Amino acid sequence: MPASAAWARPEELVESLSSLDNTARLKALRDVKNQIIGNKTKKLSYIKLGAVPRVVEILASDTEVPLLVQSAAAVGSFACGIEAGVRAVLDSGVLPHLLKMLSNGDQKVVEACARSLKMIFQSTLAPKSDMFQGHRMELIIELLNSENENVAEVAASVLARCCETVDHQQALADAGGMQSLLRLLNASVKTREAALDALGALTKGNKQLCAVVMCMDQGRSLAMIMKLVKDKSPRTRLLACACLANIGKASPSSFQHEWEMRTSMLRVLVKLFDEPGPVGEEAPGVVADLVASNEELQKVALDMHAVEKLGEFLRKAALPSKQLTGVLSALAELCSRFQESRRQLLDMQVQARIIAALEHDCASVRAAACSCIRSLSRSVRNLRTSLTDERLVEPLLKLLNDSSADIQALAVSTVSNIVLDFAPHKAVVFRCGGVSQLIQLSQSMDPILRVNAVWALKNLMYMSDKSLKETVMSELTFSSLVDLIFDSEEKVREQAMALVRNLVYGDKDSIQLAIVQDAVLLHAVEKQLHVSTESEICIQGLYAVSNVAAGSEIHKEAVMNILIPETPMGVNGNTSLLMRYLQDMSNPQLRVGALWCVINLTFPGCPGLAGRISRLRNAGVEAQLHTMAEDPCLDVKDRAKTALEQFAAGEIPSR
Amino acid sequence: MPGQALPPPCTFLNVGQAFTGTQNVSAGQKDEAWKVNVRLQGCDIQQGYLCGSMEALNVPSAETPVVTFWEGEIVDNKNNTFFTGQWEATREKDFEHWEKFPSFAFLKEEVKKDGGRSLDLANYPFMFMRWKEKFFVNVGADCGLTIAGFYYVCFSRSNGSVNGYYFDPNSRFSSQL
Repeated sequence: MPASAAWARPEELVESLSSLDNTARLKALRDVKNQIIGNKTKKLSYIKLGAVPRVVEILASDTEVPLLVQSAAAVGSFACGIEAGVRAVLDSGVLPHLLKMLSNGDQKVVEACARSLKMIFQSTLAPKSDMFQGHRMELIIELLNSENENVAEVAASVLARCCETVDHQQALADAGGMQSLLRLLNASVKTREAALDALGALTKGNKQLCAVVMCMDQGRSLAMIMKLVKDKSPRTRLLACACLANIGKASPSSFQHEWEMRTSMLRVLVKLFDEPGPVGEEAPGVVADLVASNEELQKVALDMHAVEKLGEFLRKAALPSKQLTGVLSALAELCSRFQESRRQLLDMQVQARIIAALEHDCASVRAAACSCIRSLSRSVRNLRTSLTDERLVEPLLKLLNDSSADIQALAVSTVSNIVLDFAPHKAVVFRCGGVSQLIQLSQSMDPILRVNAVWALKNLMYMSDKSLKETVMSELTFSSLVDLIFDSEEKVREQAMALVRNLVYGDKDSIQLAIVQDAVLLHAVEKQLHVSTESEICIQGLYAVSNVAAGSEIHKEAVMNILIPETPMGVNGNTSLLMRYLQDMSNPQLRVGALWCVINLTFPGCPGLAGRISRLRNAGVEAQLHTMAEDPCLDVKDRAKTALEQFAAGEIPSR
Repeated sequence: MPGQALPPPCTFLNVGQAFTGTQNVSAGQKDEAWKVNVRLQGCDIQQGYLCGSMEALNVPSAETPVVTFWEGEIVDNKNNTFFTGQWEATREKDFEHWEKFPSFAFLKEEVKKDGGRSLDLANYPFMFMRWKEKFFVNVGADCGLTIAGFYYVCFSRSNGSVNGYYFDPNSRFSSQL
């Protein structure tokens, strides 16, 4: 039996791991370790046989160096590349022992333990918050300064993995992690990359820490990271770009030769798309961070064929979640403003892949897919042509109830785009109960959800017919809409006023909605026009009133009563709403809105025209119009002239 | 063309604005006119872009109103100039059509000289545009109408009126909107 002569039976080997004889234990450890290296089946069968707790026990209670080294190495091997292995070693309580051994006097022990820790922290199962308990973080940061570079590398890569929240970032920085990491930028490639990776995790979305990196050593650290963008190693280039993208996002003018730097980073990253393995997988996500809200850079990316290259990824077979998130996020940014980018992506016929990603198991993929659809749906042309696939509606509506509030908010703002009058999806949204969902979300406690939901309802009302408007109002109710007009959030108030504007636009039935139920909507708008100091809110209010003024005599009279109310002492022009907004020099759009009210109130051929003109004239409106005919704003000037012409024409019959 | 001011906003170009008018077609002996509704559905002054739908009613050859989707360029000397440079329109054709608008007369010499680069179009009471129909919305391409050409358009900032002349490289028809 030559084959089995070398190793004992697995059951016996596991037994020997707890042998009282040191030599036997060491031999068993070595044998197990050698068998499981690179062999998933063996790992699983030894886990089943209960080998892991015995291996950990050696690490916990032995003192001899060879035993400690071998058991740490075996732990690392169990945890390498297989989730069940990570779970098994963690369940055996290995973490505190590994951490304790990091301060062992023997460098071989320290190195073996550090390597095992690294294996554990490559897994998503790694207990990240546990690392912030007690003095563990200080211990790891101390290891960053270890003379053994391998140990420092492991410490940095553990930090890179466990830094997930702002609190984590701050705790790490407070413990002095930043300085030590920046010092490691001078070390060998592997250590430097681990340090850059950790710096990326520390600076992601953290303005304060980005500022710290910028100022450190009079900017020398930043300069060093900038130099690494051109390094030989692809991974160094990627990680340096990731750090700088974080810093650039946090503060718009953060480094010298900003524009050149950003474009060269973009060029480097787009080239990295073609790298095999993690570098190529992570590069798209870094591009997304880099070009976020930077239109000029988005244009440069387009010229570098970034959209086509990213679209190509979507044509391939399934991508790892992280890569898919990065690709979709980058596309969402690149298509947020430029129609040419949207066209290129849609021409690649990858819509079905993006729609499918809306239902992905991983939340970050769903969020990225949703942003991507939102960007694509920002074009009227796309809504009418290449985005007509009805299959996108249902998954989108499902995301309105997603467990993540961020995804909900994204989904609502995407729905806003597809419920516009000319979009073929409007009817589908209605049929699938989307409107009720939006109404419910407009009552959410979360202000962002409320803004987006009211925004979507506003778009839904735009150019809608009478029956849709009535259906929405019976479910939303007039009193809830009034509450939204007086919401605590400014943006909600603005969207609610705009909703009223769209609701009362159009035929007489629509306009009537402003004055039913004791004119509750019109009065709410009036009150807001009196008290609000936000011009965007008032502009929407003025156009809502102007839409009502385009209605019948009753509607026009109702508007007259709020804009130029008659008091027992006659009309007081100086205190009237109309004069106040005609004279408002803070924003020309307010004057234009007020002028449209005048134009609609004095529209030729209406029965009560002469009476209205004389009332407006008595309030000083005509004199004010003469002043406005010389307004610096062209739009104001032209509208004032039109109103004056209508005043002049309205006089003729009364002569 | 850096340094050109963009046209200031105009409420007549707000999304949702509707324009109504007639389209007059003359082809040799036969003159036809049909009613046209135009609706503005998108406008981006920054990019000199606008789009919308055009609905032709009582078209003799069609049973239902014909709706098309169009996209437009605003001549702002930043994003677009008076010279079309595409859709088979030559400079001569550009002049021939722009000259049909009385308001172009004041600009003609400048445009001849240097394409009108130095003109302050942002403050001119008329805006010039090109509207190109992209596809039929409610009927097939065999509805008897063509969208091969495009419109030269003149829009009045003061009263919101819209005039357009159709140019089709493959046809001798003239058509006025």
